Order: sequence, then C-alpha cells, then structure tokens
Amino acid sequence: MPGRKVIIGASDRESAFYEDLATRYGTPLLVLDRQRLIAQYRRLQRALPDVDLYYAIKALPYVAVLQTLNEVGAGFDVASSGELDLLVDLKVSGRRTIHTHPVKRDSDIRDALRFGSTTFVIDNASELNKLQPYRGRVGVLLRVSFRSESAVVDLSRKFGCLEEEIPDIVREAERLGIHIRGLSFHVGSQCGDAGRHVEAIQRCAQRMQEVNAFARAPLATLDIGGGFPADYALEGLDIEAFCQPIRKTLAELPADWHILAEPGRYLVAPAVTSITRVIGKSLRGDIPWYYLDDGVYGSYSGQIFDHARYPLQVLRDGPTKPSVLAGPTCDSIDIIAEDIALPELETGDLVIGHQMGAYTAATRTRFNLLPDARFVVIDHGNQESDAVGG
Amino acid sequence: MRYFKETLYDSVCQEFRIDKVYFESRTEHQHLIIFHNAFLGRVMALDGVVQTTEADEFIYHEMMAHVPIFAHGQARKVLIIGGGDGAMLREVLRHAQIQATQVEIDQAVIDMSKEHLPNHSQGAFDDPRANIVIDDGIEFLRNTSEKFDVIICDSTDPIGPGEVLFSQDFYTLAHDCLTPGGILVTQNGVPFFQLDEVTTTHQRMKKVFADHAFYSAAVPTYHGGIMTFAWGSDNPALRQIDRQTLERRFSDAGFRTRYYNPAIHQACFALPQYLLDELAEQKE
Ligand SMILES: Cc1ncc(COP(=O)(O)O)c(C=O)c1O
Repeated sequence: MPGRKVIIGASDRESAFYEDLATRYGTPLLVLDRQRLIAQYRRLQRALPDVDLYYAIKALPYVAVLQTLNEVGAGFDVASSGELDLLVDLKVSGRRTIHTHPVKRDSDIRDALRFGSTTFVIDNASELNKLQPYRGRVGVLLRVSFRSESAVVDLSRKFGCLEEEIPDIVREAERLGIHIRGLSFHVGSQCGDAGRHVEAIQRCAQRMQEVNAFARAPLATLDIGGGFPADYALEGLDIEAFCQPIRKTLAELPADWHILAEPGRYLVAPAVTSITRVIGKSLRGDIPWYYLDDGVYGSYSGQIFDHARYPLQVLRDGPTKPSVLAGPTCDSIDIIAEDIALPELETGDLVIGHQMGAYTAATRTRFNLLPDARFVVIDHGNQESDAVGG
Repeated sequence: MRYFKETLYDSVCQEFRIDKVYFESRTEHQHLIIFHNAFLGRVMALDGVVQTTEADEFIYHEMMAHVPIFAHGQARKVLIIGGGDGAMLREVLRHAQIQATQVEIDQAVIDMSKEHLPNHSQGAFDDPRANIVIDDGIEFLRNTSEKFDVIICDSTDPIGPGEVLFSQDFYTLAHDCLTPGGILVTQNGVPFFQLDEVTTTHQRMKKVFADHAFYSAAVPTYHGGIMTFAWGSDNPALRQIDRQTLERRFSDAGFRTRYYNPAIHQACFALPQYLLDELAEQKE
C-alpha cells in the first residue's frame, strides 16, 4: 500500500478559497475545476498526439465532466446504457463513442446502436453471437488480456482473451460476417510506468500482423486502454515522460493504423477536490479521532474499491500527533486515515481531499442514507502553481 | 458549420451539411432533428439515421403506396401504420376511391411534421377521407374488427421504436386484418448493408402469406443502393398484373407521378442475384 501524502496548513489564499466554497455550498463537497480538466485533456493529447482519446465515463460519470470534455473534442468510452443516457442530452454524435463493456445484453447493444455507437469491444467467441444480428452495422475490437503486477488495479484477470485465442476468434467472426477492426487491451489502472503498455502494444502489433496475413479484412485499430496515472503523491507527475515510451512504440506501427486510448483516471483525478468538515471529535486512549461528514461509503469509496490513498490537507498548522480521520457512517471500517500525523483539529475545521475525481463519487453507496457530497463546478484553473496543484 | 453524420454503420457513414436547423429534440432515448440541406431540402433524421428528405421522398412514398394499390385494382380501404410525416397519406389519397386510416403512435410526430415538413403531408391530414388514429400499430391491429384491402407499414428501422413492426406477431395480425386477397407492404431496409433484415422478414412473412416477395427502389438518401419493400398477399396473381391492366388503372387514376409508372411497377419485383441466392438459401 503506498503511503499517503498529507499537507499541514494552507496559505491564506487557499484557506479562503476552501472556506468560501464550504460556506457558499455547505459540506461535504466535491469541487470540479473545469479548467483543470481541460488542462489534463490537453496534456495527454500533447503526450499522445496520434492517439484519439475516449474518456472512460465510468471514472466520473457527471454531465459537467462530459460537457467539458465534449467541448474540447474528446470521444467517450461507454460501458453501459446508463452512461449513454448521460450523453444523449449533449449532442455528442454516436460516432465519437465506443462501447467497451466486454459482456453485453441484447438491450445494451440495441441502446448503443440507437444512440449511434457502433464500435463494440468483446473478449470471447460467445459474445460474437450476440452481435451477429447486427453484423452489418457493427465494428468490433477484441480485448486481449495482459496481466499486470505493477498496476494498482489489475484489469486483465476478469476480462480479455488470451493472445493464442485471437486467430480463432477472428475466424469465427469472419464466419459470422462480423468485422473485427482490431485489438484492445487494458493493462490496469494507475500504472507506475508505461512498460506494460509498451509490451502490450508490441505483442498486439505482432498478433495483428499475423492475423492480417490470413484475415479477409485487416485489423487496423489498436485501443491501448487506460492506466494513465493520477499524482496521488503530489510529486508533480510528468505525463509527457510517462508517455514517451508509448509514443516511441506507436511510431513503429504502420502509419495507417488507428490508435485509440480510454483514459479515465488521469483526466479527472486532479480536477476534483473534496471538501469535508470535522463534525465531531473524541480522544480514544491518547489518540484523537476526528469524524468527518464524508467517508469511505461516500466520496472516499475509492479507498475501498480503488485502493487509492488520496492526499489530504488540513488548513490548520501546529504540532502534530498520530490521529484518526473517520467517516460519518456507523460502520467501523468507515475510516479514511489511521495513524495520520495531524495538528489538533476543532469541530468545524475543513479537511481537503486532493486528486479525488476518479472512482470516488462513481462508487459511493447510499449507506446510512447520508447525503451525497454536493457536486460543484468551478472555473478556477490558475491554482496550478499552488502546493496542491500537482 | 455543423454536419450531420449518419450513425448506421461502423465502417461507412454519409454526411450531410446542416444549413439551418428547424427543429431538434433530445428526449430520453430519442434524438430527432429536422434541418435544411442545400441539395436535399428539409431532412429529418431520428437517432442518427435519415428518415426522409424533401428531395427524394417521392420515390419511397410513391413506390409504397401505388404499387400495392394499382396491383390490387379494387382497393377501397387502406391502412397506413406509422408514416407520421403524412407523405404516405398524401400519396394514398391521390386515389379518389380510397378511404384511409392512419395509425401513428405519437401525435407529436404529426404535429411536428405539419409544422416543419409541410411539403410532406400537403394538407393530407385534413382530408375528410383520412381517419387519423393515435395508437400503437400492433395494438390497433390486435383490437380492430375492420378489414383493409391494403396495409402499408411505413416504420422506422427495426432497432428502436419500430421494432415490433418487424415481429412475427405483427405480420400475423396484419394478415388477419386484410380482406381476402389484400396486400401488406412494409419498409424493409437496404439489403446491401442489412441483408439480415431481408432474410428475417422473409422467414416470418412466408409463414403467414400464401404469396410473399420483395420489390425494390433506390432512394438516394437511404445510402447503399436499392431498398426493399416486403410484399405479402394470399393472392399470387396480384404480383403478376399485366402491363395493359396497369396502364389502364394508372391512366384511370388520372394523376401524375414522378417515380412510379407501370413499367417500373412490373420491373420492381425483379431482384438482384445476390438477394435471390440469399433467399433461396433460406428455403432449405
Ligand atoms: C475498459 C476500461 N477502459 C478504460 C478504463 C479507464 O482506466 P483508467 O482510469 O486507468 O484510465 C477502465 C477502468 O476501469 C476500463 O475498465
């Protein structure tokens, strides 16, 4: 488990900024900074100039996020009909979407086709049968499994066919009259480096060339998935450097191949900040416990489902001692941080969670029927130079 | 500058320049847009698929209305299912002897079409020989005791709201609402891209009609070459009406057409070999 970055204290300007939001909108809050989101998108675009980016809606399924990314020309990776519904109001053409859930019901396929989303990901031959009735309309990406020990979240255990299965699945698709456009993979989320991407790209390219020796229609699309990391350590992640090996590998592929990616985390993580308030405190033994109005059943759910440790900040400065930050539900696992060095906090103090856009609100529960963190959208952006900018 | 890109197929798409938007609505699962295109006039698209344009709608509507009606020769009562833009009703009512019933699922489609596609209906909705019913087409067939000489199914694509109008139940119910020797015709897609639509309809219709076939016409904005219309009747002779008879019926009707004529009528039942082969395979 990686350690957690904790920031003690804040500049007057920062404190005023958070206090102002908390006073204006109440707590708990999740604050989306649209400018930050746009900046992330542009950075990734610059780092991967020949790759079409499809935002993985699952990371943070909010209309404001989709609208912002739509305005800068992003595509969308859709995994369910519910996610599609979010796009319906936004005048996004179905041609700018791909449907990436490897296991689909007929109704999912029909909903996607009605929306105009015609590219589907599959990872086994039985899924081909479901697409057969729509074979004239669809294009298919075959998801291949590459296990990743280095990623925090391994996404190749549950989904993806084995490399060896590719030729047979392509032949079966041809027999059914379905066009396999190419391959996709997802090496896992929050990757430490791009080594797995590079290896997967190379292996896919080799497999595609092999298949293209016999296939009636060539495989010419490669979807390199997500996995681009968030800067949870606030060390100033350099996405340009992270992507450099990927760029180099992609440059070796045939120029007429179409390369896609499905970034989720990298785009949204730093664009959202959580603001919670201390609503109670107690001393257990000599350890202070602070109870917040948001916790692991709410915005901090990613600590459970996504294994994330978000950087935390308290605005107050002073001598620290080991403390506990707990969430508001009655469950004892609802603890955000234990053994965290904090100055003494008072009821009413704000606790800030940074890098909280990805897989946070997306996975929260209704437990205890506590109110959801309110989602607030701002256009701030110029905070980049602050300590919390990351 | 905005463009409308059709979203029917993954690998191929036609694009239209939008010169002016007249109407656009996105509701729950449906996206409807009516816009102007310099070449095509007003264009209506639903869920990313072109439904009709002012420039080429005459081909579709004349072929769906006049082929069965002139083939039948005695049609008095015609049922239109769908066709909310009113152009099918317009063509059907050009036959002076006909009383038409139109069943459209959504009054809003009619209202919107009257306002934004007025050249389609040209006042047909106000014709005293037209009876407009707002109902689900398949429910109407299930509940009505009326019989019709010709039923025309002017539906949307089978993925979406028009789905039931391609079901076995629909063909069976439509058959049972025809007078003896009556004819059902349905919109059946562009077979070059959607061969499965033809074979599926074929499987279903041949179960309920003594005579079943397809005829075709090329409608330019239904991209992909010819589109097919499915034909079902218990009277095989209606597909073989001789040229003289058709010429006489057409001249007696006393109106002019822009696509339909008796020579086209006779020719349109000829299908390309790839379709015949596919249908022959289905028989085995
Ligand atoms: C299929 C697929 N694509 C993309 C993503 C987004 O990955 P990331 O957030 O690591 O960019 C995920 C995450 O689970 C995924 O399952």
